[in-house]
Amino acid sequence: MNQNNSIKYNDSSIFISKNNSGSEHPLMTLVNQAYDIFSKLGFEIAVGPEMENEWYNFDALNMPKDHPARDMQDTFWVKEKIKKEKEERSERKVLRTHVTCVSAREIEKAKEEGRIPCAYISIGKVFRNEATDATHEMQFFQIDGTMVGKIKDGISLANLKGVLDFFYKEMLGSDVTVEFRPSFFPFTEPSLEVHAKFKGKWLEMMGAGMIHPNVLENVGLNSKEYQGFAFGGGLDRIAMIKWGIPDVRLLYQGDLRLNQF
Amino acid sequence: MKISYNWLKQYIPNIPSVEKLSEIFTYHLCEVEGVEIIEGDTIFDINILPNRAHDLLSHYGVAREIASFLHIDFINPLKKKELNEKEDTKLLIKIETKNCRRYMGRIVRNINVDQSPEWIKNKLESIGQRSINNIVDIANLVMFDCGQPTHVFDLDKLYNEKIIIREAKDDEEMTTLDEKHLILEKNDMIIADEKNILAVAGIKGGKLAEVDNNTKNIVLEVANFDPVTVRKTAQRIGIFTDARKRFENDLSPELGNYAMKEFSFMIGEICPDAVFEDIVDIYPQKQLPRKIFFSADRISKILGLDVTSNDIENILKNYNFLYKKKEDIFEIDVPIMRADLNCEEDMAEEIGRILGYDNIKPVLPKIDFLPKENQVYKKITKARSKLLKEGYGEVITYAFRNKGEREVLESASDKKFLRSNLSDGLKESITLNQKNFQFLDSDLVKVFEIGAVFLKDREEIRVAYGDKKSITEVALDEYIKNNTLDIDEVEVKKDLNKKFKMWSLFPFIVRDIAIWIPEKDNPADLIEIFKEKGTELLVKEPKIFDSFNKDGRTSYAFRLVFQSYERTLTDEEISKIMTEIEKKIKENSQWEIR
Repeated sequence: MNQNNSIKYNDSSIFISKNNSGSEHPLMTLVNQAYDIFSKLGFEIAVGPEMENEWYNFDALNMPKDHPARDMQDTFWVKEKIKKEKEERSERKVLRTHVTCVSAREIEKAKEEGRIPCAYISIGKVFRNEATDATHEMQFFQIDGTMVGKIKDGISLANLKGVLDFFYKEMLGSDVTVEFRPSFFPFTEPSLEVHAKFKGKWLEMMGAGMIHPNVLENVGLNSKEYQGFAFGGGLDRIAMIKWGIPDVRLLYQGDLRLNQF
Repeated sequence: MKISYNWLKQYIPNIPSVEKLSEIFTYHLCEVEGVEIIEGDTIFDINILPNRAHDLLSHYGVAREIASFLHIDFINPLKKKELNEKEDTKLLIKIETKNCRRYMGRIVRNINVDQSPEWIKNKLESIGQRSINNIVDIANLVMFDCGQPTHVFDLDKLYNEKIIIREAKDDEEMTTLDEKHLILEKNDMIIADEKNILAVAGIKGGKLAEVDNNTKNIVLEVANFDPVTVRKTAQRIGIFTDARKRFENDLSPELGNYAMKEFSFMIGEICPDAVFEDIVDIYPQKQLPRKIFFSADRISKILGLDVTSNDIENILKNYNFLYKKKEDIFEIDVPIMRADLNCEEDMAEEIGRILGYDNIKPVLPKIDFLPKENQVYKKITKARSKLLKEGYGEVITYAFRNKGEREVLESASDKKFLRSNLSDGLKESITLNQKNFQFLDSDLVKVFEIGAVFLKDREEIRVAYGDKKSITEVALDEYIKNNTLDIDEVEVKKDLNKKFKMWSLFPFIVRDIAIWIPEKDNPADLIEIFKEKGTELLVKEPKIFDSFNKDGRTSYAFRLVFQSYERTLTDEEISKIMTEIEKKIKENSQWEIR
């Protein structure tokens, strides 16, 4: 037998070790990778509650009650023990339908602390009340980012494109290109769909846009003085595309055979 | 929404090719979900964005948009058409609710209900609609053509010639055209005569005044209803119609004029003996004109693209916006149909999408942000690194359980509670993984999860870790306090470029084999034999689980895992493979199978 075999196998790799290091969940590998990439661009990591107030999940984001946009997101409302009086900022509990509420909370805080211009990145679990299949889950991970400054800071759609182009190139490879297509979200104006060309195919990756003036006002900023962008999209989808994971539900079974990377 | 290419062409004779049109939709308007070629026509399924649903859920609207975008001719087919004679009317319309913004009614006598002519049938069928009879078909055609829902009542089934738009009384009842029995509530808006309910406003007509084959005289309805009222009622009674979809997106009441004209004209064409009475138009809430002010400079700052005043003027002209320009400021009269345009940012979107977002080049911002370190993330990273180093495998389990302290109101699943601990999910994970321990290169499966749990009064991030013997679960803060965490970053072997390999769902078979080989020989050579003779059924890289030396020889014990992606394996076929492996090993006289 030829001696070159030993190059493929070093001693440790062919033994079952009692002291193996544990295996990472692929989504968490991506979470950390994404945080690293955005940190390089000056984004600050933000973490927020998974059970959110109606105000931050909907109203502050320009989705008032009875707005058809609320239909776009099948919501899990949480049972309340006490019927709440009508509040100006509704604290009715909801499982967050996106991580955009974390961005809203952080911008509001940044304004209070005099830390604008600011940029935040937040990745976390979100919930949608819908039937599950290979591409839909009731819980999944979303990545959400925002960058806000004075109008003179000139944070624009060109910057949004720059940031997302950098992110997807780092994440999926330097041959990836990003394009914008028209879309609608209540919390952004203009609103865009972000598509990335990966292995010759255009894939819908995120929703994005410039933060809607009503949202800026709701988090305490004068929309005539400030502007910024926001983006958000599924992380599960990136994992599925990057590694070819065939079914989103595999990510939440607690099955260690998933941890292959 | 389904859009017919031929239908659009009636408005814009110089319509571009199907491919070009598809591209314009995708990059300047909205997503194209499908393009279907049918006999003599091409049907686009386009996903009109919610903020344009009030003016683009129609062939007229889409054609108008394309004509402006390409600056090509748009033909208004109704422009030169006028009904010849109109009779006086005794129709009375009374609006008793603030939620009806306009109601136009018209009596038409001496019509003839029959099958629709082929061209109407074809037009409706091309966009997936079923033909019913000429009158109902025309009502539908008007909606898909100009976007205004319409309705027809059989006049002779009404109590008298009076129509009332009012709120329902609690527990008032009616039966819809499709025989659904409804119990209405106070806030529902209805159309009624002096005795009965005729329709749920903007949602669904009633059985009572249905047009049938004997209908001779009709009332045409072209109305405008408050979107929130329509939406609330429709949601409560669970009826989804094309009319509802349009009304809840805030149609312009001004659209009524065009729709009534088109509606009447088409009926006149199909029923030449029809006698038209005057239109009764009750319009209590006139749509107010609006203005927007914006500058090329601000639009450029938002888009990150140099947009000149000239660029903007060209767009405003092509889209027939009335505007004035004072120094650098544009002042526009918002077109009556464009409810989506309210502020400078809306104009940035309008100009950005028309110019094309492709023109925006990526630029990294040059701002010196001063990010702080997130303390929660830092703690999670530390706890996670320690557990990974200690050999725990990371899992993410479901937040939904069948018991807990907080409950969701409605769920598509049977698990309505939010987890109040991580341990229950972890226990299931351990049981699952313990079955597959041969795959996991470990006799004892160890797992951990870091995640939120939901308690009566708060949400808490917890750390849980354990194996089949025991599980420990503590709050993240407590874990950090009680553990020495001198590690910064764990070194996990990572190959992020490899492909995910799905496991087989069939049972596997494990065979252990131990071989004596001279100390100087490389056990990796044995692995090559296993892989060669083990066939594709050997699903895992063979690994050594035991070894020891004696008299210049080493014994290596290997674990081989066999599994098929297509079937359940038999012991016999694996024994056959093992025999082949053993045969090959025996070819080396210095190797000996134990």
